[in-house]
Amino acid sequence: MGYGRFLLKRGVQGVGVVWGVVTVVFILRFITPGSPIDTVAPLDASQETRQRIAEELGLNQPLYIQYLDYLWELLQGNMGYSYISSIPASVQVFQKLPATLELAVAASIVAVVISIPLGVISATRRHEPADYAATSFSLLGISTPNFWLGIMLVLVFAVEFNVFPTSGRAYGFMDSLAAITGPEPFFTVVTAWIASLVLPAITLGTYFTALITRLVRSGMLDELSAGYVRATRAKGLPESLVRYKHVLRNTLVPVVTVLGLQLGTLIGGAVITEAVFAWPGLGSEIIRAINARDWPILQGSLIVIGTGFVLLNIVVDALYAYLDPRVIAE
Amino acid sequence: MSDQDTSRRRFLQAAGSATAAVALAGCSGNGGEPTDGTQTTSAGGDATQTTTSPEETTERPEPDTRDGYLQRANLHCHEQAPWVFLNRQYSVYGQSSDIEWQPRTDERVAAYAIEPATDAGDDVVMTQSQLDSGLDPQDHRETPTDNIVLQAYEGLLERDAEGGIVEKLATDYERLDETTVQFTVRDDVTFHSGDSLSPEDVAFSINRIVQSDVGIESPQVDQLIGVEGAEVASADDRTVNVNLSGLNPIVFASFATYCDVMNKSWVESNDNAYVNQNMEGTGPFVLSNYEQGVEVAFERNDDYWDDPAAISTFTINSASESSTRVNRLLSAETDIAVNVPPQEVSRVENSDDASVSAVPSTRVLFNAMRYDVEPFDSPEFRQAVNYAVDLDSIVENVLQTFGGATGQPTLEGFFGYNEEVDPYPRDLERAEQLVEESGYAGAEIELVTPIGRYLKDVEIAQAVASQVDELPNVSASARQVEFSTLVSQVTTGNIEDKPDWYLLGWGNATFDAIQTIQPLLASDGALSSYANEELDRLLDEAQSLPSESN
Repeated sequence: MGYGRFLLKRGVQGVGVVWGVVTVVFILRFITPGSPIDTVAPLDASQETRQRIAEELGLNQPLYIQYLDYLWELLQGNMGYSYISSIPASVQVFQKLPATLELAVAASIVAVVISIPLGVISATRRHEPADYAATSFSLLGISTPNFWLGIMLVLVFAVEFNVFPTSGRAYGFMDSLAAITGPEPFFTVVTAWIASLVLPAITLGTYFTALITRLVRSGMLDELSAGYVRATRAKGLPESLVRYKHVLRNTLVPVVTVLGLQLGTLIGGAVITEAVFAWPGLGSEIIRAINARDWPILQGSLIVIGTGFVLLNIVVDALYAYLDPRVIAE
Repeated sequence: MSDQDTSRRRFLQAAGSATAAVALAGCSGNGGEPTDGTQTTSAGGDATQTTTSPEETTERPEPDTRDGYLQRANLHCHEQAPWVFLNRQYSVYGQSSDIEWQPRTDERVAAYAIEPATDAGDDVVMTQSQLDSGLDPQDHRETPTDNIVLQAYEGLLERDAEGGIVEKLATDYERLDETTVQFTVRDDVTFHSGDSLSPEDVAFSINRIVQSDVGIESPQVDQLIGVEGAEVASADDRTVNVNLSGLNPIVFASFATYCDVMNKSWVESNDNAYVNQNMEGTGPFVLSNYEQGVEVAFERNDDYWDDPAAISTFTINSASESSTRVNRLLSAETDIAVNVPPQEVSRVENSDDASVSAVPSTRVLFNAMRYDVEPFDSPEFRQAVNYAVDLDSIVENVLQTFGGATGQPTLEGFFGYNEEVDPYPRDLERAEQLVEESGYAGAEIELVTPIGRYLKDVEIAQAVASQVDELPNVSASARQVEFSTLVSQVTTGNIEDKPDWYLLGWGNATFDAIQTIQPLLASDGALSSYANEELDRLLDEAQSLPSESN
């Protein structure tokens, strides 16, 4: 099988997965208690009013008609309209996506910046106090619920010391770019943007940091006992070169893979962090949509996240196949 | 029943959005209960009587005013105890020392009433639990959206801080006959675009709510029930006639709460999505920035027809977590934090730069008891449950005094409130005795409560259940369900779908007893858990008379 056929196969599989996501998400709304009519109509609305609203939203149609209509509209790029605001779902979802992506990327950066040095220290000073400290940190990071961590960070760094804002997103990445030529002072915009990002990114990234620290540590320990390391040492290479040029580089290959795949998990996992920090991203939108039974928004959000996850997997698979042709043969 | 009576009855059904046919299992109207009003605690309405207990009986004279009938209806409800009467909710806000502002009873926050106390108070930020469900003022019916649209849109009438009706875009209003009321439209008003406000805009705005073929299926249609449409009576005199299906005593109260006026040409030239993301009103603030789900920002309308607002800008953002709202207040990131729960109050009060403001709201919390199932089909049993509940303790310990005990469906200050009815006192002996009299000794009952819908709802339900459970001859427990589950059970229009005993809250923005008792307790009420011929008769009589206040 050639590389092109491999990609085509992965693409078809991806479409199948996305279709599965669409179908499961669509069915979920029928097994979830409550109806969007209860959100749109007041409690004391008459049955006539409820009926009229059901007709307006198309909820009076048989299930399969609603499903086929939804698929047909989706194929034309239409995710429907919010039951609550009448705004197109695609507009609402894609307006919120950048904030969540920004948070996920920032959390990944926090994780990488902290976890790799920690993992290296932990592996190279095995059974020393530094190793125990790093291992304890990673255990703590994995065990700490991020909503609790978020609340504590806000109380200490925002309310008590007033270093960072308590919540919200003052500016976004695009605002910072626009400030280069725009009327608002660039430094002010960038400072406010980063300040609002710090605490949510640490909160979301802590679990991830702990995970990568463990990965780097175990990866480096494996590599350090490999034959080529003994050879390089025998060649007389300085220990720093052995560790950082050869061992660390090899250790980072699986780390990069995990980073890529975990980005999707981070986007999905941002829901709680976004709620704690009133971060106006897709996570907050999903919670609001669930509470309001605003199915077009919920479906749109989950389909975008699911599709992103599938695309990320395809890219990782493609890179693997490119780097290691044996994958195609398998 | 005469034709006129039939007409009144038909309107009454509509007035509480009660067009749903409520199935009354095995019921001819009174559920086997006394219907001659022989149980009494105190005077109802115009009657002059001595205060006695709910189980004692006294003959009463017939009221002769609408207020009297509604007071009598409240008295009936107290005596027959179709609910466990709980508490009136308070609206609790945290506010910064940079502003001067008094909260309103109707839970709405008008930035027009805010005044700066310092230079920083010129630009005011408010954080509420959620933002709007779109900016169309006629396509929603919830307070968070009200708080946003009311900055830019105005109605013909409005409420003052105490809930009284005052003119807004109307300079005058009067009842021409039983089926027609007339508004005179102010002539010095312009929309934010510069277009002048015309009587056509007013008639269009009313019709857009009550007539589905004009534009949208407005969820406010049931609040203007009985309004069939509006037309310009005289363009020169700027009068608009509103046609009613019958006598509607609370029509002006309804117009003081609903029906914001929109620019007809602007609405007709834009689609719904645009109308939901932009604003074209006549109000004291102009929309300056709208990021859906992020913030809504306003600037002062310097061309406002009345005095311009005291503050320059007003920004509304949201945080679903109450601790986040309070954190923002304490860090000077916001000036008003809406809905501060009791557990957060001390944090605000301990701050040098913020304080707590609380006001009784228009929402009442209650436990409905289905009159058609055992053991709640016995008035004695229902009274016993009321006697078993320690309301003072709930208000003091669960709500930390941010609530008020109730003993009737209507809240103090509302039209039809009966001042002589007090909350049930806690009396376990009497409760135990009443249970024995009811014949339901040994009953096991379960209170269904929503989770997190109302302030401290689960804690209140658990307190009620545990207090009732203290009776030696009753076993009580509480069960939590998601609010949407409860809503789907209570809104079917069929009483048999409802839980036997459930906690619910009810907001009544019209400040009139009928809008609480009719939908929740009349035989044909859309959400009714009760049926009684005497109560229906009292409501019928009340709705056949013009209102003395509104």
